[in-house]
Amino acid sequence: MDKKKVALALGIMSAILTYGICVQIKTINSTNSSYSTSSTVNSLRDEVLRYKERYDNKYEELEKAEEELEKERESTTGNNDELTKLEEQIKEGNKLLGLTEVTGEGVIVTLKDSTSPTLNSVIDTSQLVVHDMDVLSVINELKNAGAEAISINDQRLVSTSAIVCDGNVIQINGQKVGAPFEIKAIGLSEQLAALSRPGGYLSVLQEYGIGTEIVKSKNVTIPKYAGSINYKYVKSK
Amino acid sequence: MVYLGIILGSLLGAIIGVNAPVISYTYSSYLAIAVIAALDSVFGGISSVLKKNFDLKIFLSGFFCNAILSMLLTYLGEKLNVDIYLAAIVVFVGRMFTNLTIIRRYYVDKWSDKIQKKEKNNQALESK
Repeated sequence: MDKKKVALALGIMSAILTYGICVQIKTINSTNSSYSTSSTVNSLRDEVLRYKERYDNKYEELEKAEEELEKERESTTGNNDELTKLEEQIKEGNKLLGLTEVTGEGVIVTLKDSTSPTLNSVIDTSQLVVHDMDVLSVINELKNAGAEAISINDQRLVSTSAIVCDGNVIQINGQKVGAPFEIKAIGLSEQLAALSRPGGYLSVLQEYGIGTEIVKSKNVTIPKYAGSINYKYVKSK
Repeated sequence: MVYLGIILGSLLGAIIGVNAPVISYTYSSYLAIAVIAALDSVFGGISSVLKKNFDLKIFLSGFFCNAILSMLLTYLGEKLNVDIYLAAIVVFVGRMFTNLTIIRRYYVDKWSDKIQKKEKNNQALESK
């Protein structure tokens, strides 16, 4: 037997072997769960992943379609003054509704779960985490201070947004959002930063050991609302 | 020569594997069993090279038959809710140990032969 051939065959085989091992390790790591022998669990997990992928693909398609629509609009309204005005009105309306990405002066507030237990939290561990009510109160204070646009972990708050408790995470716009919460707000940053005043809600949270941070920024970017706003029951008079 | 081929092949496979896309989780158990079959084939190949009865046809057909049969067993086991793939793993790993024994014996024999020869030479020199 030719020695070269033997070496080649074994080499190819070991290439397949290491390839398989690498792919397998990557697959197991990416699913980050213990091995389950039940095929129903596996297929359910697979289905969830597939739906997620499909959702992402559709979302991308939607964004592309929106871009096309925008271009189409621009090209048709380009040489008509009246239509350009209407177009600007639509843009203004979308900005108010939260359907466009906006940027401006503002603050970034970060709320982190407590890492150092206090005397009270030993008895009641729920005091260590950031609750939906805490987020809601902070949002309320920011709105009171004149915030014009707010997002929590990239979930834009719009008129239909709800902040509800959902187990160990909270739900905003129907999407699960977990700690740490990064709350971005656009408005007069000095006013918004007054959130950290003594007796304000952040000081209350600090007493519970919850990590709070507030940063003033000249350039806060808030993403647009990812869902769609459909009014079914409201009718204009 | 043979070991050089194996090392180069492993490196090549690792480089491709690191950049390869992730497969679906459902099929990962099939890939795992194929990996074990490939490992068994490589060990079997090395030991047959040492025994000087390596045959490319037997080597390749052995790998594919083993891999396909074990994957079918895995599939059947999933349908029947019995972990039949464990049987395939036991056989493969058992054979891997057998082959490792053959490889080990070959090199240990070679080594001890060398030592004996050296001693004989030394004795011959001393007697002179």
